[in-house]
Amino acid sequence: MSDQAPKRLSVSERLGLVNYRNQGRTDARAHIEVDTSICNSTCSHKCTTRICPAKCYTLDEHDQVHFQFEDCIECGTCLYACDQGAVTWKYPHPEEGRGINWTLG
Amino acid sequence: MEDKFDCIIVGGGIAGLSAAMMLARGNARFLLIERGEFCGAKNVSGGVLWGSDLARLVPNYWEEGLGFERFVNHRRLTFMDEQSAFSVDFKSRHFEETPYAGVTVLRSVFDAWLADRVQEAIDASDQAEESFMATDILVEEILQEDGRVVGIRAGEESFHSDCVIIAEGVNNLLTRQIGLEKDYVPDTYVAVGVKEVLKLDERKLMDRFQLSGRSGLTNEFVGMCSDGVEGGGFLYTNRDSISLGLVLGMRDLRDKKKTPYDVLNGFKEHPAIADMIAGAETVEYSAHVVSTGDIRGIPSEIYTDGAMIVGEAAHLLLNAGKAIQGMDYAMRSGILAAETALAAKEKQDYSSSMLSNYRTALENSYVLKDMRSFQDAVHLLHQEQMFGAIPNLICDFGRQFFTIDSEPTPKASSMMRASIKRHASYWELVKLGLKGARAI
Repeated sequence: MSDQAPKRLSVSERLGLVNYRNQGRTDARAHIEVDTSICNSTCSHKCTTRICPAKCYTLDEHDQVHFQFEDCIECGTCLYACDQGAVTWKYPHPEEGRGINWTLG
Repeated sequence: MEDKFDCIIVGGGIAGLSAAMMLARGNARFLLIERGEFCGAKNVSGGVLWGSDLARLVPNYWEEGLGFERFVNHRRLTFMDEQSAFSVDFKSRHFEETPYAGVTVLRSVFDAWLADRVQEAIDASDQAEESFMATDILVEEILQEDGRVVGIRAGEESFHSDCVIIAEGVNNLLTRQIGLEKDYVPDTYVAVGVKEVLKLDERKLMDRFQLSGRSGLTNEFVGMCSDGVEGGGFLYTNRDSISLGLVLGMRDLRDKKKTPYDVLNGFKEHPAIADMIAGAETVEYSAHVVSTGDIRGIPSEIYTDGAMIVGEAAHLLLNAGKAIQGMDYAMRSGILAAETALAAKEKQDYSSSMLSNYRTALENSYVLKDMRSFQDAVHLLHQEQMFGAIPNLICDFGRQFFTIDSEPTPKASSMMRASIKRHASYWELVKLGLKGARAI
């Protein structure tokens, strides 16, 4: 039998392959703060909702931006892509935060 | 102060570990702090480590054969349109000689291995009981007194040192904190890298890519791989997996309103790629910002009183079309910063003017020399034609040239004229060609 093409993966299937720090913790401290009032008022492009490789930024049915840090893989894309000053980055705390724990990298 | 270190290194990636290796060999008393669970836990690269500095850090590393995946003896550059792939391919026995010219790596494996080698060097040094590598600790602040860097703070604890080497990577928050990097770095100086590691049976992988022993292939892609977005693709063979990914210009990705993982899906489904990854299974998906190699991305200065910035925290990287060089630049800059720190220790002078020797050494090394001489190539690669018209034209010509259809065959020159007419103009090509000839 010939080899099959790898299955097309959704972003959530891809993130399912990723290990996070403190994965079981429900009260992890956020390492990125997003002032979505900027995204939802003056920002014309809302680029983070498309450019984030982990889809941490989403648009609801009213075109409002929402952010969650739990899926963040610390790539840094939003730190550079946001030109509106809405994104504040810190490194996640090893014990109290979340963030990535690569197996292969 | 009794408990003061000669040096504190922030970050256990390639730049930080390279600095640590040299400090251990120089019998310095140092502390390396890594925020990940282990060295490599936070790190992602494409990735090929080019050059021969690894052999300086770990002599004869190829004998044990650990840490790296495969050495590169086969290189390929592929131009793509929607249905075709036209490659320039070079394989050579010369590349099988040690020290290897390049090795493929998976960073969480490689960095952890390199950290173990550094620990061995510490154990063999005069400071075996006094130098440390600590993981799982976050440096929250670079401590300064009277404008001079004097140590770091991690949580409630402060550690002091004569100098600090900042090796924190491209998302350089601490470099920003001490004012060497602007708070907002323009998105034109960076790209987004997305990657999948696809597992494939080792025997099958070796047969498919014509590998023998530990030899490996690197393949870069230009054109349809990136769905019209500035950038390109890569495929590297690991021991029993394939690293497949894209590097996409941040500004262009944003302006064209594309999503990196969707572009990656399209790349994986290109006929040339689909054939190479058939039967392979994705085992990890990753992403990271990467510098483009634009020299304007380098922080305003890479040293100050008591501190030096190394690796991609200093945006040291070059992609001039031949290869993406980031890890080797990290290695060399880490080595040069450590040598500067050892010289400073000798003289007990950690002033800005003493540490400026790091900048001078980097300027005199291939790192900044190449970054300076290949800036035109970096900018040329960002021109729209390079990921649209040019690869389309090349594939169009290839299709004509390699078609044997029992009809009278035109001469190659008239095929080329036809391809140019369809995809570009002569004038445009002459301009690009001249630029290209000067740039590389």
